[in-house]
Parts: sequence; C-alpha cells; structure tokens
Amino acid sequence: MVKEKAVKSQAVQFKTSEKRSIWSHLPEIIATCAAWSAALVVTGVFVWILADVVRHGIGAISWTFLTAAPRNAGREGGIGPIIVSTILILAVCMAVSVPLGVGTAVLLSEYTSPASRFGRFVRRSLDVLAGVPSIVFGLFGNAVFCIYLGLGFSILSGGLTLSCMVLPILIRATEEGFRSVPNDYRMSAAALGMSRTSTLLQLLLPAAVPGVIVGLVLGIGRALAETAALIFTSGYVDRMPGSLADSGRSLSVHIFDLSMNVAGGDRHAYASALVLIMILVATNAIASWTANRWLGKRILTA
Amino acid sequence: MSFRMLFPQSMLWSVVAVFSLACCSCGQSSDTARSQLVLTGSSTVAPLAAEIGKRFEKLHPGVRVDVQTGGSSRGIADARRDLADIGMASRDLKPNENDLLSFTIARDGICVIVHQENPIASLTDQQIIAIYTGDIENWKDVGGPDAEITVVNKAEGRSTLELFLHYFKMENADIQADVVIGDNEQGIKTVAGNVNAIGYVSIGAAEYDAAHGVGIKLLPLGGVAASIENVRSGEFPLARPLNLVMKSEPQGLAKEFIEFARSRDVHDIVEEQYFVPLAD
Repeated sequence: MVKEKAVKSQAVQFKTSEKRSIWSHLPEIIATCAAWSAALVVTGVFVWILADVVRHGIGAISWTFLTAAPRNAGREGGIGPIIVSTILILAVCMAVSVPLGVGTAVLLSEYTSPASRFGRFVRRSLDVLAGVPSIVFGLFGNAVFCIYLGLGFSILSGGLTLSCMVLPILIRATEEGFRSVPNDYRMSAAALGMSRTSTLLQLLLPAAVPGVIVGLVLGIGRALAETAALIFTSGYVDRMPGSLADSGRSLSVHIFDLSMNVAGGDRHAYASALVLIMILVATNAIASWTANRWLGKRILTA
Repeated sequence: MSFRMLFPQSMLWSVVAVFSLACCSCGQSSDTARSQLVLTGSSTVAPLAAEIGKRFEKLHPGVRVDVQTGGSSRGIADARRDLADIGMASRDLKPNENDLLSFTIARDGICVIVHQENPIASLTDQQIIAIYTGDIENWKDVGGPDAEITVVNKAEGRSTLELFLHYFKMENADIQADVVIGDNEQGIKTVAGNVNAIGYVSIGAAEYDAAHGVGIKLLPLGGVAASIENVRSGEFPLARPLNLVMKSEPQGLAKEFIEFARSRDVHDIVEEQYFVPLAD
C-alpha cells in the first residue's frame, strides 16, 4: 500500500517536472515565432508593395516616358520635366539642410553637455518639429517663402520648405553619430595637442559618418515622399523648369494628382511611382557613397 | 593639411548654390511679370486649365501660364488677394463673392455613385437626403441587402460638396459621414473598394471610370440618367459651371487667355478632360 503510494507520488512528480520543462520552454518558442513572423510580415508587406508597383508600372516605362513632357493631364506623354524638378527640389533641400544640420549636430554633441539646459531645449524643440504634420510645413512654407519672401511658387520655395522638414531628422541622426564616437578619441586627440577644430574635422566627423548617412537616407526618403508640403510651395506646373525660380511639379505631387484627380491616370501613376522608388534607391546609394568617400576614408589615411 | 581638406566640398558648394539662387530669383521676377499668368484654385479645373495653358503658350511664344491647385475656395481667395492673376472655381460665385467676375469655360455634372454590385437602381432625392443625414443607415431600408451604408462625403471647401449640399438643401453639419475624401478619383476609388459605400463625384470622371472597368455604378438623379450627354443637353439637374475668376475686368494677357479658354479652339481639350464644352 505504502509502496504503491510512493510510486504514484513519484509518477506525479515526474509528470509535473516534465510539464514544467515544456512550460518553461514555451515563452522562448513564442518569442522566436513572434520575432520571425514579425520579420516576415514586414518583409512581406515591402515585397508586396514593390511587386504591385512593378507589375502595374513596368509596362509604361520606356525611354520616351522618362524624357518626354506630360500630355493630356499626364495620361499620355512622359515625366521628363517632373524628374528634373524633383531632383532640383531635392538638391536645394540637401544643399541647405546638410551644412546646417551637421553644424547643429556638432554644437549639440561636442560643444554642449547632454544635460545642459540649452541642449535639452534645442533637442526637445527638434523632436517636436520632427512630429509636425507635413501639411503644416506646407502652409508655413507657402506663407513665408512664397508670399512673405516673394519667391512665389518655385522650386526654391519647395526645397527650402523641405529642408525645414528634413533638418530635425538629419540633426538627430548626425548627433547620435557623434555621440557614438568613443570619448577616448577626444582624449587622445587632446593629449596629442590637436586643436578642437582639427579634432572635429579630422577625427570626429569621419568617425560620425554612419550617423550622417542614416540622417541623409531618412531625410532624402522624407523629402522625396513629400506631397502635401510641395503642392503649396513648389507647385503643380509640369513644364521643364528654366531656373530655380520656376514652379515645378515633383514626382510625388504628380503621382497624387494622377491617382486622385485624373480619371484614367492610374497606369502612369504606377509608372511614376516605380521611377520614384528607383530615384530613392539611387540617391541613397550616391549619398552614402559620397559621404563615405569624402569623410569616411580620411580616418584611415590620416 | 590643406584648407580644402578641412572643409568638405559640400559646404562650399551649398554656399555657392544659395548665392546663385538668390541672384537668379531676383533677376527673373521683373521681366517675367508681364508675360506670366498664374492661375490657382479648383483641383477639378486645374488639369483642364493646364492643358489650355499649354496650347495658349504654343500660340504665344514667350508667355508662361502657371497653373496651381488647392480647391475652389483657394482660387477665390487668391484672386481676391492678388496672389493669382486668375482664380479657378468649379461652381458659381456665391452672393458674398459678387466683388469678383466669373467666366465659364466648361460645364460638369455631379452624380451619386454606388458600388457596381449594389442592386439599387435608383434613389429618390428624399432617400439620398435620409442616407446622408443618418436617418437611413441600412441598405435594406431603401430596398437593398441587409448591410450598413458607408457614407462618403467630400472635404470642407470643395465645391462638389457645396453644390451637393445646395441641391439637396442640407447643411454640412447635418451630414453623418463615414469617410471624408478630397479629389474625384479618390471618391471613385473609395466607392469601388467598398460594396456598401455611396458617394458623389464629377460625372465626367465617373463615366470614364465606369466605362473602363472600375467597379462603380452611376445613379440617375430626379429620373434623369447621369451622363455627360444629359449635362450637355441641360436635362441633368445637378450641373455646375467651371469658372475662371478675376477681381477686375480682365486686361491684356489675362483677357486674351480667358477669351481663348472660352473659344471653340479648346473644345477638344475640354472633351479630353471629360467635361462639357460651352455651347456656341
């Protein structure tokens, strides 16, 4: 009787321990599954979007489409002037925001301590600015650049408005890049008697390049995708721009108009979207390549 | 260590760029003022005006017609404040806008659309009002399947909305909308993507899309079928003019442009954009 009980209790004990081992593994299994499925969903959505755009758009793309001017409200013809306007707007935006952005990032990371009141204030205002909806930037740009400064609907107004939008992203990413440079670098440079300026330009800037690239990639992405802010600043004109004072339609505005306002414009909207994605990939590649080449290599050769 | 190595070239370039930009923008503004027309306003009129502008530019070398969009209210406001030479509005002027002059360049109708698979063939004006004010919330109350109605409304400031409200004598505050949209194609896509939706859009766009396989159905209004043909004949009750708006009597280039936009020479462009040209 007693023996039987002992065997039974042993069996129970054995059972519970087996159970516990399964239960203890369960969270790990769930976590693994969750991580994998999250990654799959994200990749899946990206591939789906890309496949959809390619499937609908690839048929319309030809050399004529890339170079000709749009006709019949964009249903026919091409997107040549629109590609040129897009690149010009992006160029103005980057020419203004990169020097300003890197400069501010240097100030925040190298000349102010993270705890200082001024640094905290600037950082907080940048975070707020990064969260402002783009339509607000559009109205601001229209009021300030187009009307108050008298630039009118122009590529210049559009590029300047975009640079206001891109600056917070660029500054925060670049600042992270500077902060990730080990403090030993600064100490060693000081010990070697390097001036603060040359430490910055010769050592810290090259070392912070990964942060600058992240900022550029995010900034270019936001600038190229922008529609709301550009409708009110760089405008709707689809003529080949003669100067930066001309109004020029960006690809994003063109896609929006073709898909939301022009009956029968879908085919060219998809084709323009495909071109926009290709420009995005190309400019990102160029931006990282130039940043690496101009700044990144110096740390090895210096 | 040379100076050039200390300063990344991008900084130098950007300084040069900004200066040269400033220069060309100053030099440009004075001599383009006379030969440039700026039009802003209704997104419905914008593609039409842009195409008319392109033909006008071809006939008048050296002239530039810049068309910007943003909605009829913007067109009215910009024409008033001299921010644009000519405003565009896809509706008649209101009584409080009689300080402005309007010039009709084409006509358009507004029709009610439902999804292609919706069995409803027509709705009375009362039923449409009841659906939009939320008194009828289910298709079975108007003879359709048992499904909740998705009411698609236009955004504030759009003249399609104002005309629709005016025709049915409703206030925007009374409307119980489930979805609020902006441009015509957006409305068509919203309805085509939702079996239980009802919306209203420009007839030209709706007729084109329905003929090209987009899943929408145009409902007749007051017993008149919704078609460009019936807008042309004047039978369709919910029609609107597409107008160019000016603050004062047009002169010079603006006068020439408005005359050109109202002439026979642009009838083919008007038809290409699925609107109804003016009668001769």
